Amino acid sequence: MNHSWTAVCVLLLMPIGMSATQAASLDDAAERYRPYMIEGIGQAMTGVRNLRDRIAARDLAGARKAWISARAGWERSEVFTAGFVPELDAQIDAWPHADSGFHAIEAVLFGAGRTDVESETEALADHLNSLYGKLHEMALTPQGLLDGTVRLAYEVGESKADGGESRISGTSLDDMRNNVAGIDFAYHTIFAASLGAIDEKLAARIDQRIELLKTIVAAPDLRRVDVPALRRVSEELVVALQGASTKLGLQSPTLEASSR
Amino acid sequence: MMIRRLCLAALASAFLVAAFHGRAAAFPIDGDQTTLPPKTELDEDALDKPREVFHSEAAGGKSYMINLGNLAFSSPGILGGVARQAGVSCGTCHVNGAGNARFFMPKMSTRPGNFDTTGPLFNPKADNFALDPVRIPSLRGARYLAPYGHDGRMSSLHDFVHNVIVNEFAGPEPSPVILDSIVAYIQDIDFLPNPSLGPGGRLTGNTSESERRGEALFMRPFPRDPTLSCGGCHIPSGAFVDHQQHDVGSGGLFKTPTLRNADFNAPYFHDGRFDTYDQVVTHFDREFDLGLSEQDRRDLMAYLTAVGDAVQPYEHDGAGASLKEINDFATVLGTAIPAGDKDIVSLAVDTIGNELRELTEQYPDRKNTSVSGGEQQRVLARTALKGLVLTLRRIDMAVADGRTADAAADFKNYRYLMAAAVPAVLAGAESWSLFNPAVHDSHYASLRQVMQSKRVSR
Repeated sequence: MNHSWTAVCVLLLMPIGMSATQAASLDDAAERYRPYMIEGIGQAMTGVRNLRDRIAARDLAGARKAWISARAGWERSEVFTAGFVPELDAQIDAWPHADSGFHAIEAVLFGAGRTDVESETEALADHLNSLYGKLHEMALTPQGLLDGTVRLAYEVGESKADGGESRISGTSLDDMRNNVAGIDFAYHTIFAASLGAIDEKLAARIDQRIELLKTIVAAPDLRRVDVPALRRVSEELVVALQGASTKLGLQSPTLEASSR
Repeated sequence: MMIRRLCLAALASAFLVAAFHGRAAAFPIDGDQTTLPPKTELDEDALDKPREVFHSEAAGGKSYMINLGNLAFSSPGILGGVARQAGVSCGTCHVNGAGNARFFMPKMSTRPGNFDTTGPLFNPKADNFALDPVRIPSLRGARYLAPYGHDGRMSSLHDFVHNVIVNEFAGPEPSPVILDSIVAYIQDIDFLPNPSLGPGGRLTGNTSESERRGEALFMRPFPRDPTLSCGGCHIPSGAFVDHQQHDVGSGGLFKTPTLRNADFNAPYFHDGRFDTYDQVVTHFDREFDLGLSEQDRRDLMAYLTAVGDAVQPYEHDGAGASLKEINDFATVLGTAIPAGDKDIVSLAVDTIGNELRELTEQYPDRKNTSVSGGEQQRVLARTALKGLVLTLRRIDMAVADGRTADAAADFKNYRYLMAAAVPAVLAGAESWSLFNPAVHDSHYASLRQVMQSKRVSR
């Protein structure tokens, strides 16, 4: 273990230093992310409420539609969920086989074609309610949001050749699109203006990579996503965002939640 | 080794390749939007992988060309669109230069271990509109095994590799250096050693009576045609081949396959129709009216098993094995970066990065319900591997921009981390990784449970 910790110290060495003005500006910008976060989780909650209704009505098609809507709100919010609410994140999005959470419900609705997921849906609703209750008071740090943006940008580049995380419902591509939308919004709401003032070229590079990601995930289906390009662009975006962290006076972003 | 061989001779009818290979069933690719046909099994999740021995390692180390060839062989990027999308490379079928007895692709395979190279999936232009899969062969000892192809249609390995890339898998025209390097790599893959074989392909050492009788039977002329014998085509020698094509009653002319390491090359025959030596011997007995007694059959199988044996045919696929391969691949960058070779650097970064991303998935993240404990260690392992992926990407970007000095500095850092820090972090997380059989089985059992929910409904 000593070797491991030494190794991590080597891996995680990073520049530290942030001017007071930059920090205040980014703090303000981070606060502007809050409504988006509330909206995303709000959409997930609305979707789960609809899901509960459709399940009660034994309406499989409607339940599936509600699940997809709830899922969209969740995936847009992944910029902050893993870093700011890791325990709830693990419960809501547990995988591959879980007792509760989106994927437990997905397997029954889309896999078995049944609607008997009352208890799982209740549990999901409870977890989302808990999360929603924290959103208004949660301290949003620019560092935490940059960490989340970078982690998600890396994750988007992972291969979905096996059907991806939401393979049972066939909605992995929707997950990716919502992830990219979340990255796009978080970056442009919080960091783009400050970075543009410091390093226009780097800001333009990040803009270009985000646009490229949007183009790639706009493919009509998962099979037609240019996987090698997706991976390359996602990594280039992460590298650029790592560069941006230094310019913005932030620490180098973490690549895993809770690794800081 | 000897005890196992004797047991095999006695139990030849139960001799299935699966008995040797891995411990858990291969996990199928599935879902509504997979690039490959649903229920495709690539056996990428096997815990034990074929061992690969290189000729040049005995002579001091692998050359740049051999490492580049191994890298290209493992890269989907040299193949066409479907293969690239699916992450399929030459190494998907020829795992560590051996075969892949568990590979199965619906509509392209008729049984595990074979594949239709003229099917519609990878290159519609190559489609011959017939489901005629051929066995996925081992490439061990390929330099002794010309001509190439199951029917021996090509005398040049160079031409054969070109045909596979461009025609069978719709890849772009490979550069001469890539093609030469793949050939160099394949020609460097040795047979696994078999201490029971002496000069001239004769059994040596502690040989059983049954094996000796089998050896004599192997060389005995066929009763109905004394010009023929098993050994007349499988000439006892370094490779047990005659470099010729023959009709042995399996539907055409096919080249003589090697018997070296053949215990681990099932299924047998050009289309992989037979699982066992027992079935193979039965076929020849019937087709050539050999009149074999039950004892003769057992003796022949004992002999084949002795000839086809090998020292340590499989090795555990732990982080150490993965890192060794990745380090071999990375040596290519040591030459390509100073040369400013953008194409090779990109190929290497994409391929090594892909391997590192796959290695990352061996350390489940916190959302994975099938593993508990070691959370911090898993986080460290994943962080370290992701960091390497990004370092490689920085190298690629720097070389593309002509900043070779920056790339060299990053590569120095990469090698420094790979020398000690990363192996230490991965070792610390191994107990909670998919390299641990208990965690591996739990993870795939969970995935299987999810997949089965889908099958139940259909």
